[in-house]
Amino acid sequence: MIPHAHIKDAFIAAVPIILGYVAIGVPCGILCNEIGLNALQVFILSALFYSGAGQFMIPNLYLTATPLSSIIASVSLVNTRQMLYSASLAPECQSSSKLLSFFFAATVTDESYGVSIAKFKEGEWSVDRGLMVNLFSQTSWALSNVAGVLVGSVLDIPLPIASFAMTSIFICLLFTQKLSAANVIAAAFAMIGVFVCKLLGFAGAAIIIGALAGVACAFAYLMVRDGRRRS
Amino acid sequence: MSWEEFWIILVCCGITMLICRVVPLFALKGKELPPKMIMALNLIPPAAFAALVANDILSPGMFASGFWPAGAVIIAALVVVLVAVKTKSLLLCAVAGVVAYALLLAI
Repeated sequence: MIPHAHIKDAFIAAVPIILGYVAIGVPCGILCNEIGLNALQVFILSALFYSGAGQFMIPNLYLTATPLSSIIASVSLVNTRQMLYSASLAPECQSSSKLLSFFFAATVTDESYGVSIAKFKEGEWSVDRGLMVNLFSQTSWALSNVAGVLVGSVLDIPLPIASFAMTSIFICLLFTQKLSAANVIAAAFAMIGVFVCKLLGFAGAAIIIGALAGVACAFAYLMVRDGRRRS
Repeated sequence: MSWEEFWIILVCCGITMLICRVVPLFALKGKELPPKMIMALNLIPPAAFAALVANDILSPGMFASGFWPAGAVIIAALVVVLVAVKTKSLLLCAVAGVVAYALLLAI
């Protein structure tokens, strides 16, 4: 069982995500309702698929009469970025059980990855706390999606403003990273990579390609620097 | 959307998502990771957060209709940077970002 103190730590860490998910979960539920998904379907989607970006894409693409196969391909492509989070969290799961690691990995999102990896780097964090952050976030996401379906028309949350809460969380996570040359290079080339991808029309894969470009450039920098030090 | 279409999308997207979320972690778990691998993995957080921010606030045609309203996003983002550096608080950043962006769009 997860100790009570860990659940409390996780809840405190998850509060910004919970509030953000309420703000964008309701508009997501409203959108899903527009393509005829009911509260149960939206709940199942949030429980078993659980992807903010994906759950906005599905109704948006469906509304433009996109074939199911294209919807699945587009949504899956956007979600490939999760592989980076999964790899990045692997060293933190070395001493955890397979079952705990599985449920932790299976419920990670952009935001909960950010919160957990930042906490792991600070120390005083654990996989069970990370899992609880994921589950608190998922609960708020699922319930606000259902609320969007049931009482959506009453709650009018402007989506661009609500989703800026997520952008703000990423900005905070970015600017609380250690200020090393390698990190600055990784961030700068990731941003350039995203912009170039969008320019070339690869918006769907922009995040993963941009992030990989950032990692590759910073890695090359570290290799060259260490090579010089050794010689 | 019919129940049938719903199940097809849920199962297919759910499976690709689960693979992306779980397979890399288990491919690395339980292995002695070489220092260079650890070095590369440590570069993922700054690169991923920067990519997520860039994806949200940058796009090739953002200033096509003039500096505003794209400028509101940029200025609100700079406000959040200040709050982030000063407070390191995710919650304050989220609140400051939403308030700043809403105010900037209202003027």
